[in-house]
Amino acid sequence: MSKPATMRRMPLIAHVDVNCFYASAERSFDPSLEGKPVVVLSNNDGCAVTRSPEAKALGIPLGEPWFKLAPRAKEWGLVALSSNYELYGDISARVMELLGRYSAWLEVYSIDEAFLGVKGTPDELLALGRTMKTAVRRNVGVPVCVGIAATKTLAKLANKWAKNNPAFDGVCHWDSVAPADRESLMGRLSVIEIWGVATRLTKRLNVLGIHSILDLSRADPVMIRDRFSVVMMRTVLELQGTPCIPMEEERIGRDQLIFSRSFATSITTAAGMRQVLSVYGQQASARLAKHGLQAKVLTAFAGTSHFNPKDTSYPSVCVPLPMPTADPVLLTRAAHTLLPHISEGVRYARAGIMVTDLRPTGNQAPLALFENPHEERRVGTLLDDVTRRYGRGSIGLGHAGIRGGPDWTMKRDMLSPRYTTHWDELPLVKAA
Amino acid sequence: MGVVVGPRVIDAGMSLLSVLISPVPVAAGYPSPAQDYFDGRIDLNEHLIKDITSTYVVRVSGDSMQGAGISDGDELIVNRALEPKDGSVVIAVLDGELTIKRLRITATGVVLQAENPAYPDIRVPSVSDLVIWGVATRCLHHV
Repeated sequence: MSKPATMRRMPLIAHVDVNCFYASAERSFDPSLEGKPVVVLSNNDGCAVTRSPEAKALGIPLGEPWFKLAPRAKEWGLVALSSNYELYGDISARVMELLGRYSAWLEVYSIDEAFLGVKGTPDELLALGRTMKTAVRRNVGVPVCVGIAATKTLAKLANKWAKNNPAFDGVCHWDSVAPADRESLMGRLSVIEIWGVATRLTKRLNVLGIHSILDLSRADPVMIRDRFSVVMMRTVLELQGTPCIPMEEERIGRDQLIFSRSFATSITTAAGMRQVLSVYGQQASARLAKHGLQAKVLTAFAGTSHFNPKDTSYPSVCVPLPMPTADPVLLTRAAHTLLPHISEGVRYARAGIMVTDLRPTGNQAPLALFENPHEERRVGTLLDDVTRRYGRGSIGLGHAGIRGGPDWTMKRDMLSPRYTTHWDELPLVKAA
Repeated sequence: MGVVVGPRVIDAGMSLLSVLISPVPVAAGYPSPAQDYFDGRIDLNEHLIKDITSTYVVRVSGDSMQGAGISDGDELIVNRALEPKDGSVVIAVLDGELTIKRLRITATGVVLQAENPAYPDIRVPSVSDLVIWGVATRCLHHV
C-alpha cells in the first residue's frame, strides 16, 4: 500500500564537494592546465597536497615531497603550483554562496565541502543534485559531486561513490540505488573508508569481525558504544539511516578552520551581524592559539534563507591579513569587512568565517613591531627618526628574528596570480 | 549648542557603531534639509554587477576587439552565469587560452568574430563545440 500523499517527507542531507579543489580552482582561470597532471604544493612548496586525476594516474602519492617529484616533472609534463590561498578562499566562498541558494540549511564543512538540508521525491532530489553540479561548474568553474542520503555519513559515502563511478555522472541519491548494489559497495569498502572511523580503531574492529562498512552497519550500536565510544555508535546508527551527527559549529581541517551556523532567529541588522562576526573572530583566535597556528587569509560570509526568495543576499569577503596572525583584534576587524555588504532589514539565516593559509606560530616577537598597537605608539616614526639622524643600520627591528621567521621567507615560487582578489593580478583574456 | 552627529538610537544592546551617522554635521535645532534626501553614495557594484557570486573581472590583452570599443588593457566585467547568445561578447577557451570574441549564432553555423579586420573569423559547427567561459557585460575602458 502506498503512503498517503500528505505524509511529510523527511528532510535528507546532500553532501557536495569540489573534486580536487585546489587544482580545479587553478584550472578555472588557466584552462591550459586542463588535461595535464597538476599538483598543488603545501606551504613552503613542501609536498603535494592536491593532485589532479592525471597526477594521481601517474602514481604520485598524496603528500609526496616536491624535491622527489621535481626531477621527473619535465618528463611527465607535471605542473606544480604553490598554494594560492586567496584564490581558494574566494572560490570556496563563491561555491558556498551558490549552494546556499538551494537550501535554507547549509553547513560549510570545509573549504571545499558542505552539507545541505534537502527535501523532495527521488526524481526531484536527483534533479536538484544535477542543477547544483551544473551551476557550480558553470558559474564558478569547478567540478563538484553530490551525494544525497538520510544521514551525513551516508551522504558522504554516496558522494564518494558518485566520484568513483562514472555511471552516476557525479550525483548519487543513496535510496534510488538498488539495495543489493548498496550492500555490494559497502561490502567491498573497508571500514577505514567511512567518515568518522579513525585508522587506529580498525584493528580493534577487525578483532570483532568487522572489516567492511557493511559489517559495521550491521553491528549492534549498543555493543559498539560499550566497546568504543558514542562517536562510533553514531557512525553505526548513521549507516543504518538514523541521523545523529548534529550540526557542528566549529571544525579544524587540514588547512582551515571554520566557524559557522544557521541562526535560530534571523539577523536583520549590521549591528547584530557585527556581534556574530566578533564572536567568531574571537573563537577563531582562541582556537588558532590553542593549536599554535596563525592564519593569513580570512573569509567571512552570510546568507539569507532559501524560503524567503524575495530578499536574497549572499555576501562574502575574502581578506588577506596584513601578516600571519592569531590576534583577536585583527581577525575580528577582518571579519567586520563583511559588514558594508550586509543589507539592513534583510533576514540573514546564517553567517560564518573561515581562516585559511594556516601555519605554525614562529618565533615572531620582533615582527610584532609591525602590528598596529605599536604603530600607535609611534615606533615606526621613532625608527625613521633614528635612521635619519644616525644613518642606515644604526637601528633595526631584530633583524635576525625576521630572517629566522618562517612566514616572511615562505617559499612560493610557483604561485599563480590572485585572480579574483587583486586588481593587479586579474586574469588576462587574449584579444588576438 | 555645538555640532552633534545625529540621529542617535540609544540601546544598551547595540554597539557604538550601530549609531546612525548622517553625512552632514547637523547644528542642533536646525536640521539640514539635504539629510532627508541622502540615500547613500553611488555604488558601482550595485549598478554594474547583477550576480556578484558569478561575476569576475578580467583584463584585455590585444587589439582584436577594437571595433567593439574594447582596447588593450581595458577591464571587462564577466558574468559566468549568463547563457551566451547571438551577438554576445564572450570569453571562450581557445587552445587553452581565455580569448575574447563576438559570438555569432546563425543558421549556417557558429562563428567567433574579432572586431578588427586584421583577425580572421573562427568557425565551428555548433555552440557545443565551444567552451564558453563567460559573457562580458561591461567594458571598463581607459579614456
